[in-house]
Amino acid sequence: MNYVAPETLEAAYRALQADEAVCLAGGQSLVAMMNLGLAAPKQLVSLRRLAALRGLSEQLDGGLRIGAMTTHAELAGLDPKAAGPALIARTARLVAYPAIRSRGTIGGSVALADPSADYPVALQAADASIEIGGPDGSRRVDARDFFRGLFETALNPGEIVIAVHLPPGPAGAGAAYEKLSLVAGDFAIVSVAAIGRETVDLAVGGCGPTPILLAGVAAETDALLAAGRALAASCNPPGDHRASAAYRRRVLPELIRRAGLAARHGVAP
Amino acid sequence: MRTERVHSLLQVNGEARDLLAPVPTTLLEALRDSFELTGSKRGCNHGVCGACTVLIDGRPARACLMLAVDVGDRPVVTIEGIADANGLSAVQRALVASGAIQCGFCTPGFVMSLTDLFSRDPRPSREAIRTALSGNLCRCSGYVKIVEAAERLAGLPAGPSEPSGPEATHG
Repeated sequence: MNYVAPETLEAAYRALQADEAVCLAGGQSLVAMMNLGLAAPKQLVSLRRLAALRGLSEQLDGGLRIGAMTTHAELAGLDPKAAGPALIARTARLVAYPAIRSRGTIGGSVALADPSADYPVALQAADASIEIGGPDGSRRVDARDFFRGLFETALNPGEIVIAVHLPPGPAGAGAAYEKLSLVAGDFAIVSVAAIGRETVDLAVGGCGPTPILLAGVAAETDALLAAGRALAASCNPPGDHRASAAYRRRVLPELIRRAGLAARHGVAP
Repeated sequence: MRTERVHSLLQVNGEARDLLAPVPTTLLEALRDSFELTGSKRGCNHGVCGACTVLIDGRPARACLMLAVDVGDRPVVTIEGIADANGLSAVQRALVASGAIQCGFCTPGFVMSLTDLFSRDPRPSREAIRTALSGNLCRCSGYVKIVEAAERLAGLPAGPSEPSGPEATHG
């Protein structure tokens, strides 16, 4: 196994051309997989020296550009006014444990696309976009098109997640992230992100290989529960050591109700 | 997997340490096997249990989820590096005073998580204490005394951190 820590994106793109080369961001999933014998790349390209992947920049419209190497802890410490960035800050506070949050990065989480991860859910609800860089230039992909399947994304081989762009969200909107897990910090059994006011856009995690979007639901108890029951009947959640598929279907409408109403009333989860 | 070794220079507990090890070597393996700093424990080795918690760049981190070669010049502090002139840190003394120990395997990780918490906030709330400890597992399930120790150190009044059972009402 080879290791390089380039200082420019161009050098990083070159290093990623090597056979079986992968990016090493915060390492909180990749190193765990290496320790468990589930990953053994031939070349690790550490992103820790790339200044281009760092930093937060608030946009004039209240949106936020988040450099890919921004840690969960950095995002959790933000208190943005606009609903889109606020949703990400609230979500970051519920990602894993303090010692993981201090090293894990949003870019790493997005690129891995774990079906139980928190950010993919929030990014779809917030209608974020992912800035991708590669040897042929950069492009932006909507979060709603980025997550393609189980650990599958729109990233091509040799490309790097550069940043995540959060739009501010509708004027006066609130945001909420409801996460049901066995213990604090564990992966979600089911999670729901919501953003909006009278109507909310929701995204559901833990009920399929990628988050499921529910756009434009009236933020009222009956409508939210009805949307939740319809989704529970039509989705195909996994059953695993955390919960059965039937359990996930059972809790889904209530989590959608809580997230939708919390977003409407601007209540922090 | 090739066993080619790479050279790293680490800053551990204020000392420069040389390491020649294969790329997949974690910081935890370097600490325990190369530097003979065996206070950080190898529990789950994939980031869940917290027994290997150290400080990197002043923030808590899992030594098992950090490749030694990727640490760079960021300073590392382990359980061996936190004692004050009295031989133990305030956090350690608080745990001793409360009897917050059973088998002891998880204790270094708990100490490091509390060390980080109290370095940022000398008077944390009960909720902040529980959040700070949320990533540390004690398989003896001795959490009550650990939380009590942290609450005393924070100057919080003694209170039931768990719902009191029948035995608590018999005085």
